[in-house]
Amino acid sequence: MTISWIQAILLGIFASLSSMPGMGGTSIGNYTLGRPLVGGLVCGIILGDIRLGIACGVAMQLVYIALVTPGGTVSADVRAVSYIGIPLAMVAIHSQGLSVTGADAANLAKSMGTLVGTVGTVLFYGTATMNLVWQHMGWKDVEKGKFHKLYLVDWAYPWISHICFSFIPTLIMTKLGSTAVTALRNALPMDGIPMKTLFTVGAMLPCVGIAILLRQIVNTPVDFIPFLVGFTLAASLKLNLVSVAVVSLIFALLTYQLEIARTSKASAPAESTSDDDDEEDI
Amino acid sequence: MTDRKKISKKTLNKAFHHWYYGHLTCFSQEHMQTFGYLTSMLPVIEELYDKKEDQKEAMKTYTAFFNTEPQLGSIIVGITAGLEEAKANGDAVDGETINGMRAGLMGPIAGIGDSLIVGTLIPILLGIALGMSTGGSPVGAIFYIIVWNLIAYFGMRYLFFRGYKMGDKAVEFLVGSQGSAIRKAIAVVGAMVVGGVAATWVNISTAFELKNSSGKTFLSLQNQFDSIYPGLLTVLFILFCWWLMSKKKISAINTMLILVVIAFLGVLVGFFNPGLKY
Repeated sequence: MTISWIQAILLGIFASLSSMPGMGGTSIGNYTLGRPLVGGLVCGIILGDIRLGIACGVAMQLVYIALVTPGGTVSADVRAVSYIGIPLAMVAIHSQGLSVTGADAANLAKSMGTLVGTVGTVLFYGTATMNLVWQHMGWKDVEKGKFHKLYLVDWAYPWISHICFSFIPTLIMTKLGSTAVTALRNALPMDGIPMKTLFTVGAMLPCVGIAILLRQIVNTPVDFIPFLVGFTLAASLKLNLVSVAVVSLIFALLTYQLEIARTSKASAPAESTSDDDDEEDI
Repeated sequence: MTDRKKISKKTLNKAFHHWYYGHLTCFSQEHMQTFGYLTSMLPVIEELYDKKEDQKEAMKTYTAFFNTEPQLGSIIVGITAGLEEAKANGDAVDGETINGMRAGLMGPIAGIGDSLIVGTLIPILLGIALGMSTGGSPVGAIFYIIVWNLIAYFGMRYLFFRGYKMGDKAVEFLVGSQGSAIRKAIAVVGAMVVGGVAATWVNISTAFELKNSSGKTFLSLQNQFDSIYPGLLTVLFILFCWWLMSKKKISAINTMLILVVIAFLGVLVGFFNPGLKY
C-alpha cells in the first residue's frame, strides 16, 4: 500500500478541517472529523480500505477517548493522530502483513498514532501562534469600525495558518512517511525487543486515556465504585456497552433523587424564607 | 415612548450560526474565543444600534478575553444577546454588567461542559460506536457522526435561544442545586460506561508461564489472574495511570513514557510477549 499525492492532498485538507482550532468548527471539525474513529472511516475511504481504516481508528480512539483540552492546553493533536497517524499505521499494517482486525494490528496502530499525536502538538502551537497575526489585524479593524473585516479574520485568514501547519505537514509526512514505514519492516524484526515493546505499549496506552477520564470523575476512592461495577458488568458478565449504559441509568436515577432529597433537607432549616417552593417537607 | 427594540429571529439565527461555526476558528493562546464571540455578536449589535458610534461602543464590550466550553457556552452567548437587547432599550444594564456576567460564567461553564460533554457524553457515544465498529464495520463511525452532530447542533441551538429568553435568570439554574444533582447523576452513567469501555476494549495480559521439565505448562499466570477477577491486570494498570497522573501530578505524556519503560522491562524478563511473527 502506498499513498499517492492526491490521497495525501485529501488527507491534508481533512487535517486542516479537523484540528483543534480547526476550519470545520469545533462540533463538525474537532469533535467529529478529528475523532480517530471518524478519521479511520475518512482515511479508509481515501486510501481505499475502509475495514483497515476503521480498525485503526477504533484502536486509536481508545487512547484518545478522553481528549479534553482544558483551557486550550493539548497533550495530543487530533489532526496528527487521525490524518497522519492512521494513514501511516494502515501502510505499516499492510506492509507487515498483519491480520486487519487482529489485536496486533490494533496495538501497532495505537503506538504509531500516539507517537505522531504527541509530536503533532507542535502543529497545534504553530497554528495558534500564527493566528495572532490575524487577530492583530482584527483589532485594528475593530478600532477603525470596519466590523465586517472580522468575518475574514475569524473565518478566512486562519486558513493560511492551516496551510502552513496542517496541510503541508500532513502532505509531506503521509507521502514520505509511508516509504519510511515500509523500510522499517526490514530493519526491525517482529520478534525482536523493539517491536515486542512497541506492541506491548500499544496495549497499555488506552489505560492513560481511561485514567484521564477517571481523573475528571473520581474525587474520593468511593467514586471508583461505579467505574468498577461497569467494568465488572462488561468483563465478567460480558454485557455490551449499551446494556451497561441502560443498567447505569437506574443508579443515575437513584443518585439524582438522593441528591435532590439531600439538598432540600439541608436548605430547609437554614433558610426558612427560602424561595424554593418545591420543597414538600417543610 | 418608542417601541422596544427587539432582535429579529433572523438575526438571532445568524448570531447562533456564527457562534456554532466560528467560536474557535481563529484561536490563539492570547485570545481564545474572543473573535468567535465578536463575529457572533456583530449581527445583533448592528441591528440594535443604528449609529456607528453606538455600535463601536457596544462592540467594545466583547473585545474582552473569552474562553469556555463552546457547546455549553452557547448559552452565555444567548444570555448576552438578551442583555444587549435590554441595554439597547435603556434598561439598567451596561457593558460592564454584561462583561461581569460573561467573565463570571465562563469558568463554571467550562468546568461543567468539559466534564459533561467532553468527559461524559462524547466518550459514551464513542464507546457505543466502538462496539458497533468491531471488525472494521463503518456503522459505528456513521452512528457517531449522526448522533453527535444532531445533539451538538440542536443542543447548542436550544441553549442559545434559552439563554436569550432567560437572560440572567439562566445563571441561577446553571449553578443551582438541581443542576448539580443532574450533573452527579450523569457522572454515575459516565463512570459505569467508562468501566464498560475499559473492560471491553483494553486488554493487558501476561505471557508469564512456569513449565516443568518435560516442557508442559503447569502454571499460567494469566489463567490465575482470570480466576481471581477477569481483567485484573487491566484494572491495575488503569489505577496505576490514574495514581501517577492525579496523585503524583505526572503529565499524560510522561505517564506514557513510564508505560514504555514498563513494557520494555516486561518484555525483557518475559512477562509480556505479544508473540508475533512476520
